[in-house]
Amino acid sequence: MNTSLLAGAVLNGMVTGMLYALMGVGLSLILGLLNIPNFAHGVLYALGAYVMISGAKAFGFLGGLLAAIVAVAMLGAAIEYFGVRRLYRVHPDYILLLSFGLSLILTESIILVWGPVGITFQPPALLTGAIDLGVTAYPKYRLVVMVVTTVLVLGCYLFVTRTRYGAIIRAGIEDKEMAAALGINIRRVFTLTFAAGTGLAGLGGALMSPVRGLLPTMGIDILPFAFVVVVLGGLGSLPGAILAGLLVGVVQSLMTAIWAPGADASVFALMTLGIIARPQGLLGQR
Amino acid sequence: MTRGALLRFGLLLAAIVALPLAVRPVVASEIWIFAIAGMALNLIFGYTGMLSFGQATFFGLAAYTAGLMMIHWHAPLLVVLAAGTVVGALAAAAIGYVCIQRVGTYFIMLTFGFNQMFFFIAYKWTAVTGGDDGLPGIPPLALGPLAIRLDSSLRYYVFVAAVFLLAFYAMKRIVDSPLGVIFQSIRENPGRAAAVGYDVKRYKWIAFTIAGGFTGFAGVLYSMMFGIVPLESISWIISGDIVFMVLIGGIGNLYGPLLGAAAFKWLSEAISVVWERWPLILGVALVLVVLFLRGGLVEAFRRLRDALGPRARPEPGAKLPVGIAAETEAGS
Repeated sequence: MNTSLLAGAVLNGMVTGMLYALMGVGLSLILGLLNIPNFAHGVLYALGAYVMISGAKAFGFLGGLLAAIVAVAMLGAAIEYFGVRRLYRVHPDYILLLSFGLSLILTESIILVWGPVGITFQPPALLTGAIDLGVTAYPKYRLVVMVVTTVLVLGCYLFVTRTRYGAIIRAGIEDKEMAAALGINIRRVFTLTFAAGTGLAGLGGALMSPVRGLLPTMGIDILPFAFVVVVLGGLGSLPGAILAGLLVGVVQSLMTAIWAPGADASVFALMTLGIIARPQGLLGQR
Repeated sequence: MTRGALLRFGLLLAAIVALPLAVRPVVASEIWIFAIAGMALNLIFGYTGMLSFGQATFFGLAAYTAGLMMIHWHAPLLVVLAAGTVVGALAAAAIGYVCIQRVGTYFIMLTFGFNQMFFFIAYKWTAVTGGDDGLPGIPPLALGPLAIRLDSSLRYYVFVAAVFLLAFYAMKRIVDSPLGVIFQSIRENPGRAAAVGYDVKRYKWIAFTIAGGFTGFAGVLYSMMFGIVPLESISWIISGDIVFMVLIGGIGNLYGPLLGAAAFKWLSEAISVVWERWPLILGVALVLVVLFLRGGLVEAFRRLRDALGPRARPEPGAKLPVGIAAETEAGS
């Protein structure tokens, strides 16, 4: 394989990898704080993409992005407030089943509203075309997506580790009852975290829509990879999610270039090896 | 057998006879096939407390194994059934060994992840599996030693119902055995089960492997039904359907998955004819069951019986439905 192809594959892997990291950070926060693997995360990613194309028609590209993140985050808040919240006292498995049911409802709703066939979507004129990086020419829009997702993911990390509100989230992950006993409105933290995590998924879908196109099943297709990122990275570990996201993305992309039929399976083989070698995840504590 | 148990078993037999009169024989066969897969999930979820979201792995692997054996070797029916069961159990032993290293949400995500891995392999390895088009060309069936042809859907139904009863009996024996009690103790309190000397991981592994065998058995029956192994048989959709059936039926009850499979398949048959988007209704039903009726149909019957009159009293030794019992260990 020549250098140009290799560089292209690595760059593609990094674009997908940062998307996985973005999904993984949201999932990881929700999993750490609320103790549920949010099965609806994938379909909310898809919904973000679909809101994006409708929003972009009405308000332009940036308006579409804003519409996607706001709509999905609000839906996430509603899901937490009216559904998940009723089940905290019940076994966590039921919350998972709730999110699975919601995933079915939302996927079918997407088909009802936007139709079952795939849709392609163009990036804004300013960002079309490729840029010469020396080793290879690469689409401008993908580079922009990579930069934006990197900034977002790092922003999340800094927010959780360096701000007062982030400290509250970490306290909640550590010990919910103690945090509540210290006067923190933990219920509100739950709702806001769920909204933020799902909002990130929606934004991820919106950003990727010009790269990957839209399909009603796009959410459920990406969900297992987001799960792999969380499992591989370690529970509640944001640096772990970022590292695992990049690793999964690059491995998947390189394998696609070398032997495409094994690309997706190799990701799960990677996860299996990771689990056997480090059961707590790459950067997980427990 | 107590009177109640005898009554339930009599009702089951009556249902087996009456079902092909109520729905098409193909749907009736599907109901008992998925009842077997549901019983298997019930063993690990309802009785041992591990929610697997990847049962289609074993269902699909066995279905493909059976399909390939029948197409390329013209293997006899009973050999294929045995082979599929073994493949399901072996796959579950290997995958389960990795998955049970983690508990709770991690366990669920691992089972789901493995399911996706095998789905992608089946999807991309078109030379062997036929990929998206499925694996066609399974020859008509005959029950070897007796030379009975199973080429009509009603004859196939009789065969499925008979082997279902065998599977049901085997599952009842497992659940009622000391092994079954150990499984339940692990569900109720893994720490205490370990403290009294049981190797919790080992028993979880055993439960997972047994369930894989049952699921593989069901997968073989499924592959024989349409003369084709659809790609769907190994997809997360089947995994989700199995979870769904067990949940609407009522978990931790031997008859729950049977009720769930019947309700699920009958409803999906009835609604999918009318409306293509019927998974939407499924999702709504799932959300409603999770929010308001966590004991499933079994719990609904119980509530109905309790509401109907003074004669209703708990049977001696009756246990709380798992959906309720599980609530006490919330948030752990």
